[in-house]
Amino acid sequence: MGELIFEARAARFRYPTAAVDALRDITLEVRLGELVALVGPNGSGKTTLARLLLGVVEPDSGEVLAAGRPAARWDRRGLARLVGVVAQREEPVFPLKVHQAVLLGRYPHLGPLGTPSRDDRAAVESAMQRCDVAHLRDRWVGTLSGGEWQRVRVARALAQAPRALVLDEATASLDVRHEMEVLELVAALVRDEGLAALVVTHHVNLAARFADRIVVMDRGAARAQGAPAEVITREVLERVFGWPVALSQWRDVPQFVPLRKGETEDEDHS
Amino acid sequence: MRRWLPLAAAALAALALGLAVGPAGLTPAQVGSALAGGGDSAAQAIVRELRLPRVLLAFLVGGSLAVTGATLQAVVRNPLADPYLLGLSGGAGLGAVGAIALGIGGAWSVPVAAMVGALLAIALVYRVALVAGGQLDARVLLLAGVVVGAFAASLMGAVMALSPAPEVRNALLWLLGSFDGASWRALSVFGVYALVPLTLLYSMARPLDLLALGEEPARFLGADVERTKRILYLGASALTAAAVSVSGIIGFVGLVIPHAIRIVWGHLHRELLPGAFLLGGTLMVVADAVARTAFAPLELPVGVVTALIGVPVFVWLVRRWAS
Amino acid sequence: MALEAPARRIVSLSPATTELLFALGAGDRVVGRTRWCADPAAVRDVASVGDGLDPNVEIIVSLRPDLVVFYHSAMNDAAIARLGELGIATASVKLDRLTDLARAARLLGALTGRGAAADSLVRELDAGLQEVAAVGAGPSVLILVWDNPPIVIGGASFLSEIVTLAGARNAFGDLDRPSATVSIEAVAARDPDVVLATDGKSEPAWARRPEWRVVGAVAAGRYATVSGTEFSYPSFRAPAAVARLRAALEGRQR
Repeated sequence: MGELIFEARAARFRYPTAAVDALRDITLEVRLGELVALVGPNGSGKTTLARLLLGVVEPDSGEVLAAGRPAARWDRRGLARLVGVVAQREEPVFPLKVHQAVLLGRYPHLGPLGTPSRDDRAAVESAMQRCDVAHLRDRWVGTLSGGEWQRVRVARALAQAPRALVLDEATASLDVRHEMEVLELVAALVRDEGLAALVVTHHVNLAARFADRIVVMDRGAARAQGAPAEVITREVLERVFGWPVALSQWRDVPQFVPLRKGETEDEDHS
Repeated sequence: MRRWLPLAAAALAALALGLAVGPAGLTPAQVGSALAGGGDSAAQAIVRELRLPRVLLAFLVGGSLAVTGATLQAVVRNPLADPYLLGLSGGAGLGAVGAIALGIGGAWSVPVAAMVGALLAIALVYRVALVAGGQLDARVLLLAGVVVGAFAASLMGAVMALSPAPEVRNALLWLLGSFDGASWRALSVFGVYALVPLTLLYSMARPLDLLALGEEPARFLGADVERTKRILYLGASALTAAAVSVSGIIGFVGLVIPHAIRIVWGHLHRELLPGAFLLGGTLMVVADAVARTAFAPLELPVGVVTALIGVPVFVWLVRRWAS
Repeated sequence: MALEAPARRIVSLSPATTELLFALGAGDRVVGRTRWCADPAAVRDVASVGDGLDPNVEIIVSLRPDLVVFYHSAMNDAAIARLGELGIATASVKLDRLTDLARAARLLGALTGRGAAADSLVRELDAGLQEVAAVGAGPSVLILVWDNPPIVIGGASFLSEIVTLAGARNAFGDLDRPSATVSIEAVAARDPDVVLATDGKSEPAWARRPEWRVVGAVAAGRYATVSGTEFSYPSFRAPAAVARLRAALEGRQR
């Protein structure tokens, strides 16, 4: 098994002004070399859990560790060398060229004078190649399409030379092609370079196809955790999402279909 | 390195222009010989005691305003931010008017009072913007700046209406901005003072790059967001306060110059800040030269000239950006 | 606006017109004045209405005047219109130069039925000025009313005229306006012989600033001082003003 990158043990968290816990008794692990998907309805705590693992908020009880140390105790630069984060949306307000944007990913590595070295430039170049944005290097980021900008941000995260990637609904606003491209890229990085990836997403079916393990969140608790085949079941999905579903298979991976009014699960799928 | 040449050349050309023109009508040859120590004593006095410190001060102030403009635009993530949105121009005006109204004499009373007023305004805005949890909220900063500035300006109006000293109205003229009071002493005081915030802001070039992306991305790229915001805001404000006390309120430089550099070089502050400094200084020297020669011996407020130059440049920039 | 009868209750909104009304012998009819009016001494018994520019119409009206005399300025247009609506006669008097005095005197003389006094004042003024007028090229004088930014008195001001009558020359007399914002360099280029202060202080405060040393007269301490309200606005005391200024300029040379 790969090294443990993120770990939560019986973690509990409540936002300061909230009436109920946002996260209850969360125990989970993310290791190098695996892609873990975090799914669940809105408000189930997916993003809060990601922020907890990244040390943005501290648990009220229980432990949350990143690479063996309490997540909230990490210094920001150190954590940035460990984890690259890609969020759903980022609006560029000022003009930046693509290669400048990706260079920002090297900042956690730059010395006190802040001059990028040859190694830094090489890391930027390599990140752009792997994300297939090298040909866009001199374009202004404001002129990129949504998918291209997303890939640039993935390249930026890669330029951090992290051992883990966290994608927080990063593909939610992309079309099919771009979403698949990003997920394929992340899966390749996990497989070929041994990164750990935590993908927070709405798209349960895609999660099932790409993830090694899935965590299904429901009102702050981890309702189910495990391989997709174990976790993507009618009972879990119907309980968590509150909607009748039918299950089918695609190449040994369960896929679910939400039922329309009047449809039942027993009808033939031909 | 080659990219700096045009800017450096423009800066030198502007400085030469600033020295060469003026209401005294000296020829370039006379200016040259006065600089070298020859020529008649009147020309020497004019060139060495008046024009030289004046163009140097204009360059430093213009550069400083451009740097603070760029900094604030990144901190509040708003391309329309300008050093005076912090409310300190109102504070400076109130200080200046207060000093005149109270009849506080002394050659330096107005600049010092303006500085004190500006610093008080900065402290007030900072306090207002510190929401619960000790975080400096950028949107609240902007709003607080506008509100404090308006409050100070209205107090200024009250002082002017109630004060028995008729000279108080002249404070408004001072506020409009001018480098006429430049002297070697003013230049050295400002120069030494400005070195600290300028160096500080330049050393924060990387955090500025990150902060401009947004607070969350900045944090995930390793920036200490709260500390960075605090230092940048205070550094930029302190520098602007000094610029206002030494030369009044001169607009457009802090707003427009950073964009001019960004459109050509992009937004990395290691180049943006020095580039903005050079270009801002250049613009200010040219504006000041125009202000004192266009209608000689009458003198226009420099802020009027920077606006006249700045607005068409801004329009051109926006069109270029949009295309 | 025309009056059927000579004005009996007058509010005067500038020190110059106040003094003028008193000089015409109509001082007992002045029921309101500005806070800046100080001459003659009798005005202190008259109620003050505050500022003369953009004045408080309510206070003026409360004094029940039949004539309100304004200083000619766009800032007073609103107040003039308001008083017009209320049926109160107004007069707008331009008094920037000595040459404006005659017309102002005749206007106010007509409005107060003191036309004869007006004529006599004008004759006295002309005679008095002729008597004190000096001829010949005297020193060039810098009249600076503010230092930061430098504001000088131009040719279209009574102060400039007084300087000329005293046999000197206003260094910025070629500017055809009452005042102008210039630069220290412009002052240095014109190299005035003497700096005139009208506030009675022997050395202006701004002279201590190092950048003003470029002006020869400042570096050498060549100052002349006068004081008195006859140097603040045009008045019939101008001949005395001319004489005092000349004495101050000559006295300096000793």
